[in-house]
Amino acid sequence: MSSVSTIARPSVGAAAEKIGAIFLRDARLAVSYPMSFWLGWVSIAGQVLAFYFMSKLIGPSRSFGFGGRPGSYFDYVIVNLAFVEFQTVAISSFQRAIRSDQMLGTLEAVLATPTSLPLIVLSSGLWAFTLTAVEVAVYLGIATLLGLNLAHTDLRTAAIFLLLTVACMSPVGVLSAASIMTFKQLGPTNWVANGLAMLLGGVLFPVSKLPVALQYVSWMLPITHALNGIRGAVNGATLVQLAPDALWLAGCAALLLPVSLLAFSHAVRRAKMDGTLGHY
Amino acid sequence: MTAVPAIAFNAVSKSFPRVYGLTAWLKHHGRVPRRQALEDVSLTIAHRTLYGLLGPNGAGKTTTLKLMATLSLPDRGSITIDGVDVGRQPEEVKRRIGLCTSEERSFYFRLTARENLEFFGALAGLRSCHRANRIAEVIDIVDLTDAIDQRFSAYSSGMRVRLALARALLADPDILLLDEPTRGVDPVHADAIRCLMRDEFVGRHGKTIVLTTNVLDEAWAVCDEVAIINAGRIVANGPPAELQRRIGGRVRYAISFDRLHPQLADHVRSVEGVFAVSVDATAQTLSVELLAGSRTLTHVLQAVTSNGVTVYGIRPLGDALLELFRTTEDAR
Repeated sequence: MSSVSTIARPSVGAAAEKIGAIFLRDARLAVSYPMSFWLGWVSIAGQVLAFYFMSKLIGPSRSFGFGGRPGSYFDYVIVNLAFVEFQTVAISSFQRAIRSDQMLGTLEAVLATPTSLPLIVLSSGLWAFTLTAVEVAVYLGIATLLGLNLAHTDLRTAAIFLLLTVACMSPVGVLSAASIMTFKQLGPTNWVANGLAMLLGGVLFPVSKLPVALQYVSWMLPITHALNGIRGAVNGATLVQLAPDALWLAGCAALLLPVSLLAFSHAVRRAKMDGTLGHY
Repeated sequence: MTAVPAIAFNAVSKSFPRVYGLTAWLKHHGRVPRRQALEDVSLTIAHRTLYGLLGPNGAGKTTTLKLMATLSLPDRGSITIDGVDVGRQPEEVKRRIGLCTSEERSFYFRLTARENLEFFGALAGLRSCHRANRIAEVIDIVDLTDAIDQRFSAYSSGMRVRLALARALLADPDILLLDEPTRGVDPVHADAIRCLMRDEFVGRHGKTIVLTTNVLDEAWAVCDEVAIINAGRIVANGPPAELQRRIGGRVRYAISFDRLHPQLADHVRSVEGVFAVSVDATAQTLSVELLAGSRTLTHVLQAVTSNGVTVYGIRPLGDALLELFRTTEDAR
């Protein structure tokens, strides 16, 4: 038998080991489905090619540029679509992780360990975020070969907007996970968020082309500010120039993150009261 | 100063909704009817004890274990593990326990046993520098060393239960909560697990074990104390030998006659060693509960035949376990 000293007391190091273990579990599970894993990469290349040929039908326009300069539709849509991937993964990864643990029957075993709820739920998205970051890099790499211009990108601003977008969208994902904990089924959150992004967030066409009333609705969506920020960063804008969008996202994240973690904690407590932790 | 018990339940009650889901919730205007799973359960388990929770399916054994493991919360009452309140400090409680569930699906099917234990070991707080050695130790204890790199999906039911036991041992906790750890396990390994619990974990390492089982012989053979739980209530508890003396020495028979004399039941009740008599007039039968292994049955038969009735038949009622539950239920 081993001694009790082999058990780490709660600390940053112990938490890091747990985060690493959750990441490794998800990576191992993902590569255990090789067909699905590799088909994901093929679909990335296909998507870039499809928009490359589509953009040949649409000429350069100021609507696609930044700061009054004209830009190409290919650059506009590729950057937007790459960035929307982070919204998709932020919203879907937590709920999928919880749903997967429910379906596999491992949720109770995980929750029986001395690991805090925020760590379990937030770490469960880490593999998906890492994979998405690599996929987006490949996506942009292929697009660069086909003419995407990233030469003026302000990397620091782009990184800050990436973090703000993830911090702002993840609480929506955690709220969805709380809903799954209660209702035991995937909700429409991902579908609604992606639909709104495509229609009102300026992913496929500029927000300025929308009727004025819808432009107000668009302004309310985090994805609009996220895309505005990243397009600005790609065109060399500094964080100061993009401050309104950055502050909007930061405020949204600061408000939603604690609310979502509280909601998740409440959902787990409710499941423990009703005895439905192991239900699926 | 009174020693802090390993586990203490103080008037714990627990209920579950009878129906689930949003539709049911709306239908009942937010007041979904609930089913009582545990009713006013109080128990104290001392350290270094192998404590058995014995009862039929649905009695409330797993519910009791899940309450100890913080996977469920009580409606009323309080639970402490090693003096720590389960509701207030669940993380601290989880550091003190190891849970072996009876759920076959509590591992990742597409990962190997080693990968599963690496994951759960990290979450249990096992330091990375010790993890590989500890996994090798616990996998050896449950005799799965040769299968450690097999995917969990390839494991048989018995192997899965043994792997769950290995997981419970990973962090070397002082308190082990074992939900039917020999269910589906072959007789050789089941016997080895019983020896491990009795001699190694409790005897040598001074751990406290709570074991749920519906196998009477298992509880009798390995436990220091047994609580018989039925319909959410502890109907009897104590050391097996004491329980055997208190309630195990009774048997029931159904005795049928050609006719039922009006005073027959009273005559039988007056026989020494008879505890209870009930009358089934339709079947012309008396159910008689009496002291086992004595001449009481002979005396009962003498009493009824002296009243001029003819005995048509005698049959024992129920199997040993069912009879024990029934007896304890009546004795409350």
